[in-house]
Amino acid sequence: MFFKMLVSSLVRRRSRLLAALCAVAIGGTVLLGMASISYDIPRQMGREFRSYGANMVLVASGEEALLGLEDAEKAASVIPPASLVGMTPYRYEMVRVNMQGYTAVGTVFESARKTSPYWSVTGEWPAGSDDILIGSDIAEFTGLARGSSITITGRASDGSRFSRDVTVSGVIRSGSVEDGFIIMSLPALEALMGNSGVADMAELSIAGTETELGEIASSIRAGVPNVSPRLVKRVTQSEAAVLSKLQALVVIVSAVVLVLTMICVATTMMTVVMERRREIGLKKAIGAENRSIAKEFLGEGVLLGFLGGVLGAVFGYVFAQTVCVNVFGRGIILDWKLLPLTIAVSIAVTVCACLLPVRRAVEVEPALVLRGE
Amino acid sequence: MFFRMMTGALLRQRGRMAMIAVTMALGASICTAMLNVMFDVGDKVNQELKSYGANLTVVPRAASFLGDLYSEAGDADMGGGADKYLAEDELPKLKTIFWAFNIVDFAPYLESSALVKSGGKSANATVHGTWFDKQFDAPTGESVQTGMGRMKSWWDVKGAWAEDGSPCCEASGMIGASLASKLGVGPGDKVSVSDRSGADVTIAGVFQSGGADDESLFVPLWLAQEISSRQGLVSRVEVSALTTPENDLARRAARDPNSLSRHEWDTWYCTAYISSIAYQIEEVISNARAKPVLQVAESEGAILQKTQLLMILLTALSLSCASLAISNLVTASVMERSAEIGLIKAVGASSFEVSALIITETMITALLGGAAGYFAGLGFAQLIGHTVFGSSIEVRPLVIPLVTLLTVTVALAGSLPAIRLLLSLRPAEVLHGR
Repeated sequence: MFFKMLVSSLVRRRSRLLAALCAVAIGGTVLLGMASISYDIPRQMGREFRSYGANMVLVASGEEALLGLEDAEKAASVIPPASLVGMTPYRYEMVRVNMQGYTAVGTVFESARKTSPYWSVTGEWPAGSDDILIGSDIAEFTGLARGSSITITGRASDGSRFSRDVTVSGVIRSGSVEDGFIIMSLPALEALMGNSGVADMAELSIAGTETELGEIASSIRAGVPNVSPRLVKRVTQSEAAVLSKLQALVVIVSAVVLVLTMICVATTMMTVVMERRREIGLKKAIGAENRSIAKEFLGEGVLLGFLGGVLGAVFGYVFAQTVCVNVFGRGIILDWKLLPLTIAVSIAVTVCACLLPVRRAVEVEPALVLRGE
Repeated sequence: MFFRMMTGALLRQRGRMAMIAVTMALGASICTAMLNVMFDVGDKVNQELKSYGANLTVVPRAASFLGDLYSEAGDADMGGGADKYLAEDELPKLKTIFWAFNIVDFAPYLESSALVKSGGKSANATVHGTWFDKQFDAPTGESVQTGMGRMKSWWDVKGAWAEDGSPCCEASGMIGASLASKLGVGPGDKVSVSDRSGADVTIAGVFQSGGADDESLFVPLWLAQEISSRQGLVSRVEVSALTTPENDLARRAARDPNSLSRHEWDTWYCTAYISSIAYQIEEVISNARAKPVLQVAESEGAILQKTQLLMILLTALSLSCASLAISNLVTASVMERSAEIGLIKAVGASSFEVSALIITETMITALLGGAAGYFAGLGFAQLIGHTVFGSSIEVRPLVIPLVTLLTVTVALAGSLPAIRLLLSLRPAEVLHGR
């Protein structure tokens, strides 16, 4: 009987229920969408903050002056591959061009472009071992440009002299020390110097919070004793500060929007129930008890809240996905715990919103309600 | 007559109208808060990103990198000394450029490599002279407080920040953690520094920066000038400026400002692009070159754009959700009035008159609610601003027409389907109560 009444009342007042369902679904959409966005913001924004470049450097520990590349690789393998953006070794040597001394840097361009995405190169990135990049200050001072040929001379690690012709493939500009460097690929510099497998330091760019970085650093320290990892405080601390503010912003905005939307849902439900005062009056007149009336409305509320919550969860996922794909170009990771939460909150809000007008309707005299007062 | 009916309806149906007004107020307050925050989020995040430190370095025009290669000590007397340095007394001019207000902080530096001694131990280290926290009067008459202390927010300092002091008294300085452990000194200890002449420095604090600075000593600028006998000179200035993200125009200008047309040049000069601020700095400081630090400048732009886009999308989506929910409610509450509308129609009102009555009533209620919601929304925006950024959100007049437009559209969108339904009702049936 209870179930029959419930179903028939839902079916008979289709358009009204559609309105109520729509309201609950919108509430659910906002809830799930906003919650998953604010939950996923640190991860998404953290990736964007990697444009600031390396947040950890590896140097040789103890008395060693040079860092072994094998040790650096071993250290990098400690880091979960999903959060490692890149690892770039750097080797610095003094060389001469036209009798002037310069610092030559050997590095791996492919990963340098990941760990220092802000480097701006006019011309081409070097492709072969005869191609080099020169800093913009050197370019301005010497008048060298893209395509110029120069001869690099110097002393190899065993003391013998070397001389090699190379081509400038591009000019690099970063606004800091790189503007005064000659940059070439690590194998090319190793070929000049005659020894390989070492670097002065390696830069790591890792997606993660400051605490995660600290944990990674201590596990590197424990696993690879020859390497001493250092956090680049300027990047890690500033990132933590800015990121926490951004997350707070999104959380508080979501909270405000959520509360307001929930109030909207509740008021819609209230109007829908208010309309049915006559029906309640009639039921009371033919002998229904207050409890059974309340039970019926409660049942309806639960059903509506559930349906609306499920719909809202689906649309909310679409909402969050749209925002993330458009802003960050990456999909969102949905926390599955949010799904039952969304449905539960939808049911709770709907039921609460129903109860208040039902209580008021039940309290009045049936005769008065039926007369339309 | 129309007017009397309307006021009558508004007054008699207070409860129902209050419901519409309250929902409208809620909706309008979401819009106001979100729009105000959205318009201001760029500025706020830009301020926060200043914690990454300087985004411009000003260096002397003459071969900035040669200094590193050849100088070390003793280049002041190798001739042409002056063009390798900037003059300290020109620095206040930074506060006179077109975008002076966008220059948040700046600090000059003068490096020298000196022998640092404490007790029996000694080490060769780079000594940086700088302003820790300096106050001076700009040429515009405004009092300016700036210095390194505000620009190195990531330093982990044990002890206190040093003070600038003056040549009359004992100098205080700050020492990097690695150098401190090499010399075995801590806050409160004394070290002696000697380059061309020597001086004693009291260590106010030991800092950890996680970079090369950990191997060096920071002292007041005047002391560094004194010990290396380069009075009144600085070798580089770090500037932290609020900038607008770069676009095509800014990139073209950065390559060559002269390639722009007159109109483009004006636009570029009067926008706070990092390249135009750099250009303006080069105009006021003689023989200087201002270089954007791309690590900070480029990343700032990227992050600002992402944040703004995120806020715009969140605003748009939550506004559309709120509008849907509200117009839904308006429909529901207009529908309730079927008996009244039936009566009006039964006594001979035309469809147009009925529609006009309902729309005007709903509009008046919605606008009243919207106005209340606007002010509540301003409150919400300030709440967000103070909780998140610790500063108030600027109130934009542009939000008022936007919120009004939204309120009117939502109210209309909500009443139209209800009116269509009401007009299709037959008076007799409705009055009979079916």
